[in-house]
Amino acid sequence: MSQKNTPPLRSPGINTVQINAAREMHAQTVRARRMPMPTSAITASSSPATSTMPPRHTCNNPNNPPCVHCGSVIIPSPRATLPLEDNPSISINDWTISSKKKPILNSQELDVWENEKLKGLTLPEMIFGNNYIRIENVKLDWSIEFNALDALKNVQLQDSGIRVAYSNDWINSKRRQNSTNGAQRFTNDVKDDSLNIIHKYDWTYTTRYKGTEKSPESRFLLDNDQTLPLDKLAVHDKILFYDDMILFEDELADNGISILNVKIRVMNERLLLLSRFFLRVDDVLVRVYDTRLYVEFDENRVVRESKEFEGKYHDVLAKHRLSQSHDPKAALRDSNWVAQNTPMIKRECEIIQF
Amino acid sequence: MMDLDKIIASLREGKHIPEETVFRLCLNSQELLMNEGNVTQVDTPVTICGDIHGQLHDLLTLFEKSGGVEKTRYIFLGDFVDRGFYSLESFLLLLCYKLRYPDRITLIRGNHETRQITKVYGFYDEVVRKYGNSNVWRYCCEVFDYLSLGAIINNTIFCVHGGLSPDMTTVDEIRTIDRKQEVPHEGAMCDLLWSDPEDVDTWSLSPRGAGFLFGKREVDQFLEKNNVELIARAHQLVMEGYKEMFDGGLVTVWSAPNYCYRCGNVAAVLKIDDELNREYTIFEAVQAQNEVGNAIIPTKKSQMDYFL
Repeated sequence: MSQKNTPPLRSPGINTVQINAAREMHAQTVRARRMPMPTSAITASSSPATSTMPPRHTCNNPNNPPCVHCGSVIIPSPRATLPLEDNPSISINDWTISSKKKPILNSQELDVWENEKLKGLTLPEMIFGNNYIRIENVKLDWSIEFNALDALKNVQLQDSGIRVAYSNDWINSKRRQNSTNGAQRFTNDVKDDSLNIIHKYDWTYTTRYKGTEKSPESRFLLDNDQTLPLDKLAVHDKILFYDDMILFEDELADNGISILNVKIRVMNERLLLLSRFFLRVDDVLVRVYDTRLYVEFDENRVVRESKEFEGKYHDVLAKHRLSQSHDPKAALRDSNWVAQNTPMIKRECEIIQF
Repeated sequence: MMDLDKIIASLREGKHIPEETVFRLCLNSQELLMNEGNVTQVDTPVTICGDIHGQLHDLLTLFEKSGGVEKTRYIFLGDFVDRGFYSLESFLLLLCYKLRYPDRITLIRGNHETRQITKVYGFYDEVVRKYGNSNVWRYCCEVFDYLSLGAIINNTIFCVHGGLSPDMTTVDEIRTIDRKQEVPHEGAMCDLLWSDPEDVDTWSLSPRGAGFLFGKREVDQFLEKNNVELIARAHQLVMEGYKEMFDGGLVTVWSAPNYCYRCGNVAAVLKIDDELNREYTIFEAVQAQNEVGNAIIPTKKSQMDYFL
């Protein structure tokens, strides 16, 4: 059987339409990161003192959103590639924050991950394996990065014990069938063996990943009495840098969702990063594992708080009695709602004071 | 008689289709599908297409890049709906083509063509949003129950949405299933729509506790027993649009580029010519525009917010 592969469209040159598409995509990406037009509410809350201060941050990438603080209008110069590669970065004091977004891993990359880097794990359906958010301070020789590979290394290579809702019915029906007409029908030697799980790994991809520190040992000290300064973080200081990305996602063969998302906002004096693992196994359970990382730039102080929420699917759904929606299960697709309505089973807080 | 060409033109532009029209389309489709077997016989040349998932604009690209329904025969391997924002239009467009050119379009049922799954993964919501009630969703679900479970090309290539079932190891057995029902949670019909190939030595249970994984041995046995050369299936996202496994005995075809508007993958269709050669056509996602040139694909890009 011969095989003829059509080469990808871009080989000899780039079509105009593709360049336009790339430009449009670029414009969209940049627009998504751009600060919203100052509304009266935000203007009112930001004090006049800060708005007159000279900027102290540096935009490290011309694709950074044009920033009122910089005073300069930056004309984006898109690279004519599809999909667009986006690698923004910003520096404040000695702190540099950068992020990168790329498409999901291709087959070659997946092979390497599956056979070498993450041996033993059946990989989730979508891995944004080249994405990351990195916070680094060269002077203090410290950095932390959030990426998919390290998050997936944290997934257990053993049976999680969790089964989809209809698992019992499914297995029992196969057993019944095997015992009634096994002899004649199952010439293909389907024995009860085939109803064993041979490949053991946590198919829910639950990860307690809290970021990857680039130092021989962790600089964090456990101190559960510490808290995040919500008063400072609740203030609507201008956001200078914002990004939001998925690291991996799996639809659990349409039995729910398993997703790891990271987002960050950087203001003039501090930053907040939220890494959220959200799991919903339909009719079985929900989990939200949050890690928040906060840096106060002038104090060189880092706080990392992690919280684990877990509850039975129907217990959590029952809290949504007052639903006006035609689809009461919509709430269970909203990780914010789930986190607020699911019991917290664990909390930990660590700090670094440089 | 309905003016199919007019409805097709409206669908291609993403225009609203009256409930009454959808009802009649669905009824006519059911009558047509009712007469098809569980495994439809299809002749070469034919183009095999994988998951569409409501990405109407990409479906239009698919037709454009692969010859168009006027000149080409197609098999769609299921998962027409859910995830994307134009599930209804995509499914109705395929139904219209099927009614208009019955011998050129074969539609196979995917695991998303069920009441239960569409209620969770978007199609139901989309219909309620577009019509204010769920009638149209119900009409479509009725059609789902009549879709074939597989197709066989020149008696040598077996097409199915998910994969194989240990309960039924021959195509003739598959022909005996009573398919006109909601997809059950167990049994051969369920396996055909749900199971996945993997690097396993024998039939094994998915760690999720339901659903089978099958390996090279099972594929080889199926090919030999049924005297076929290839199993063409969809169901799993592939970055490159297609992926051959088990020495070319099985191929996964994926036809939803930039899946969920964020994966950045390309899509593919597989053309089988009269000599049974395989030719893959790759295509990328398009930025859909309205008549004045504005982008109309809603992006899932998050708005900047003061999260805590």
